[in-house]
Amino acid sequence: MAVESALSQDGEELTIKVKGRFDFAKHQEFRRAYECEPRAPKLVIVDLKEATYLDSSALGMLLLLRDHAGGDDAQVRVVNTNSDVRKILAISNFDRLFEIS
Amino acid sequence: MADQQPLTVLIAEDGAADRLLLASIVRKQGHLVLTAENGEQAVALFVEQRPQLVLLDALMPVMDGFEAARQIKALAGEALVPIIFLTSLTEDEGLVRCLEAGGDDFLAKPYSQVILAAKIKAMDRLRRLQVTILQQRDELARHHTHLLNEQRVAKAVFDQVAHAGCLSAPNIRYLQSPYALFNGDLLLAAFTPTGDMHVLVGDFTGHGLPAAVGAMPLAEVFYGMTAKGYGLAETLREMNAKLKRILPVGMFCCAVLLNLSFERRVVEIWNGGMPDGYLLPQAGGEPLPLVSRHLPLGVLAPEQFDEQTEVLPLVLGDRLLLLSDGVVETSDENDQLFGVERLKQVFAANRQPQQLFEDVLQALEGFRGQSRDDVSLLEITVVAPQVLAPAPIVYSDSGQSSPLDWSLSFEFRAQTLKRFNPLPYLMQVLQEVHGLRGQSGALHSVLNELYSNALEHGVLGLDSSLKRDAQGFAAYYQARNQRLQALQDGFIRLHLHVEPLGGGGRLIIEVEDSGKGFDVGKVLQSPAREQRLCGRGLSLIRQLSRHAEWADDGRRARVEFAWEALA
Amino acid sequence: MFDNHIDRKVLSELQDVMEGEYLNLLVVFLDDAQRRLDQLHAAHDTEELRMAAHSLKGSSGNMGAQVLADLCRQLEERLKQPPLLAIEDLINQIYREHATVRQLFLAECQRISVG
Repeated sequence: MAVESALSQDGEELTIKVKGRFDFAKHQEFRRAYECEPRAPKLVIVDLKEATYLDSSALGMLLLLRDHAGGDDAQVRVVNTNSDVRKILAISNFDRLFEIS
Repeated sequence: MADQQPLTVLIAEDGAADRLLLASIVRKQGHLVLTAENGEQAVALFVEQRPQLVLLDALMPVMDGFEAARQIKALAGEALVPIIFLTSLTEDEGLVRCLEAGGDDFLAKPYSQVILAAKIKAMDRLRRLQVTILQQRDELARHHTHLLNEQRVAKAVFDQVAHAGCLSAPNIRYLQSPYALFNGDLLLAAFTPTGDMHVLVGDFTGHGLPAAVGAMPLAEVFYGMTAKGYGLAETLREMNAKLKRILPVGMFCCAVLLNLSFERRVVEIWNGGMPDGYLLPQAGGEPLPLVSRHLPLGVLAPEQFDEQTEVLPLVLGDRLLLLSDGVVETSDENDQLFGVERLKQVFAANRQPQQLFEDVLQALEGFRGQSRDDVSLLEITVVAPQVLAPAPIVYSDSGQSSPLDWSLSFEFRAQTLKRFNPLPYLMQVLQEVHGLRGQSGALHSVLNELYSNALEHGVLGLDSSLKRDAQGFAAYYQARNQRLQALQDGFIRLHLHVEPLGGGGRLIIEVEDSGKGFDVGKVLQSPAREQRLCGRGLSLIRQLSRHAEWADDGRRARVEFAWEALA
Repeated sequence: MFDNHIDRKVLSELQDVMEGEYLNLLVVFLDDAQRRLDQLHAAHDTEELRMAAHSLKGSSGNMGAQVLADLCRQLEERLKQPPLLAIEDLINQIYREHATVRQLFLAECQRISVG
């Protein structure tokens, strides 16, 4: 599956892994990954280690995730980004909304 | 055989006994039967009755089965009319002829009822499948036409909203696909009442109508506020708030905005999410990138939105280049991207500045395999203000003459000065004075100068000599923002008097600030260029108005405009 | 004698399918078969011979007259490749077989009309 999610034992941390192209085609899957949790976790980690490409609809999906996780009170980290992905996130200054590493 | 719906079946067979037998078999299976003795009769009956299935003997007199099959298939057009050849031909050659003539199946003699029933059923299933396919194709075509029409209407509405733009100004070159709107690409440009130029190059997320629909309210705000004389910051705040409110979460608009003042030779820049723009100096050398420092429009709530702009000085002949990400992302057959490096190479290789725009276009064309419709490119050359002739403002009232004897006073104190720009409102009021309309540009420029002097040099106490060079500019505007944020005391008073004079009238503007004042005489005597860049624009004010004087150590300015009797 | 020249099972199926029209079918066949023979007799070239043989092969096959059908098939085959050997003989065999089959079908007509 291109989008995998895993909740930690104590339910406080949700990790969503995206593989391949992170674009509009992944919209439904990505949404399902976090909407299915009954209790909003304190921290959401989006792991892009195996993501090859990110476009503006992916940025939109990250915004939706952040909004779902509490908006300004949300803690969302985007991790294991490659240089291309980091460049795209940097141009849109998304590091002001997400912890990017 | 119970679940087979009755069909109209045409049987063409020259043997009388065979024809009779076959007709009975088919009739017994519940179908309506038409019979013909030869190919010619068969075709005529087909035209007349349009049966759904045809059983054709291969060898018949007058017209054989092959020719009849060809004609029937042609007459059937898009619809599938299955043809089953009746044949005792056993050689491959004969069977191949049947298929080539358009036959879909064979029935061998002697006729087997069971086999015939099975074949009719199978052929009918194919026939009905074809009907479904054609229906769905037609429905799809209808939806598509409908969608195209919707898009056409959306574009027509948008073109009305965007018509006020000044993209046709002599110092602007641009490239935009006609489909840009539906890629979310936006290119807007308009003059302010003082002759400055506001420019926006934007890129909405999404495609099709969702992308286009966000562009309209944005363009309305941009054009509306620019025409009223609002600055970039206020326009940005308004655009962000509007998009945040109306767009769903996850949709936003990357944008780069410029405010160019050809009079003051200065450009104000705000870039949220767009690729680097470039300032290409007239003197040559490294292009200066205009980097994205903000989040795109429509993401942050109004309280968090940052409308801070960067200010850079300009020189006659400098060029500004803005582009959408379609430029850098253009790829060739091997999926290699054009990239920033190649773009910079084009800048470096350019010998004739007027050719720069073409050079970029040619480089793109030479590189890519197929054209993209999301490439937007805008080049603005810094020219003397006389070169540009802004379009006259369209007034929406009846043109009847207005009251000529009134005055208005305002006092703006610290908390208001931080957040509010009173000029657009005051200009609206002054538009009511018909006699002033011909001098609208000058009026606006003068009010701007008076107000910024009062605010920046008066209340905030900024030293205008900072604005000598690029670093100085940055420092100046940083200091301006800091001091404005921290402002606790101070005021600016504005008085407007309109009274009759001779057959016409005059306007007296008085601006008073709470600052330390300045040496008016000294400033008025310094050379014009120095005045313009780092003076207080005093000569400009004198040039544009009927009379200007300063009192109270420079803390109070009094400026007059007058007009003749209107025809 | 019947079973060699006409397949009883086929006749019974025909009767089943045709129901009230069975007699009509027999009559039409007899008329048609005679016509084919006349064509055979009057044929000017191999093409006309072949068409007649082909048609008679088909209809007699449908009616269960295998021997006649087979003879017609043989004639059709032989007409395809020159030299045309022993055609006359084969045609005569067809005439004779037709005569036999005709008698048998007339008897069947009588059986139906009376029965």
